[in-house]
Amino acid sequence: MGNKTIVKGLKASFPIMASYIALGLACGIVLFDAGFSVFSIFLMSLLVYAGAAQFLAGSMVVLGAAVPSIILMVFFLNLRHILMGASISKYVKNKSVGFLAVFGHTLSDESFGINYSNFQKQDWTADDAIVANIFNYLVWAISTAVGGIIGSHFSINTQIMSYALIAMFICMMVMQFVSKIYIITAIISIVLSVLLTIILKHNIALVIATVLASMIGYYIERKLEQRGAGSRD
Amino acid sequence: MTSQALILIIGMSIVTFLPRFLPILFLSKKEISPSLSRWMSYIPVSVFAALVASDVFFVDGAFAMQPLQNVKLLPSIFVIIVALKTKSLLWSMITGIISITLLSAIL
Repeated sequence: MGNKTIVKGLKASFPIMASYIALGLACGIVLFDAGFSVFSIFLMSLLVYAGAAQFLAGSMVVLGAAVPSIILMVFFLNLRHILMGASISKYVKNKSVGFLAVFGHTLSDESFGINYSNFQKQDWTADDAIVANIFNYLVWAISTAVGGIIGSHFSINTQIMSYALIAMFICMMVMQFVSKIYIITAIISIVLSVLLTIILKHNIALVIATVLASMIGYYIERKLEQRGAGSRD
Repeated sequence: MTSQALILIIGMSIVTFLPRFLPILFLSKKEISPSLSRWMSYIPVSVFAALVASDVFFVDGAFAMQPLQNVKLLPSIFVIIVALKTKSLLWSMITGIISITLLSAIL
């Protein structure tokens, strides 16, 4: 892994780093507010490294949730990574188990988004990707710890800080809009998750909505393809 | 750090690491069928849309579609516009934080 790879990985991760600093500070503040010490915030970021899950843990601790139910919710929230990992796996073939473990541990929504689009270009390798991931990982861990320190000195409106997460999800959704079918899929997913959340009153609704919406998106793609093939005849 | 916090962190790390690592470990060794990988290309957009829906349209667990009751609705529209224009996580977050701060101050 040469200097060129490190510079390339660093360059690619700049936009994510900038947002991780802002988001990490917000997350650290929320977690400190929930009663976590600066050390445990730092440890959580190193061992868990999942922004959405860490925000969720903070808000559930504030609500007085039990440890097992927080872990279960985090599990559901992370089910999306199975599918992200599966779809990016074709780009890390023939790598050692150690490499894959680090790559997997540092796979986040943002790094998936950036790496997935970079892999589709020719000059992006698995080594470039893991360098970018590790930079993002370290920036995240340090930012959340600094957020905890800030939270211990100032009182900050954590409700507003939590909105940073929503804005991030909105942007990541929009970045997936590469064709009309993806926009339709997003709308279907939104409608399904609202309806299912109201009916089931449980976060599992989001997992069901995700699976259904993605299947409908794929079905639409195939239908359009068949129609296109038919009109050529 | 309390032992409860430590148990929580370790538990979270296990349920985060396994869904990230196992698919990469197993699927990097063999080919995925084209139809499976085409279906999976619709997963990320569906996940983010579902998370946005559950975060934006609900206040304290209840469905809330009135801009005066639900302060997150209007900022989310601004964030969508900025995200479409800039494709930048940072600008989207800045837009969101500023607009929700101003709106919470007014309402």
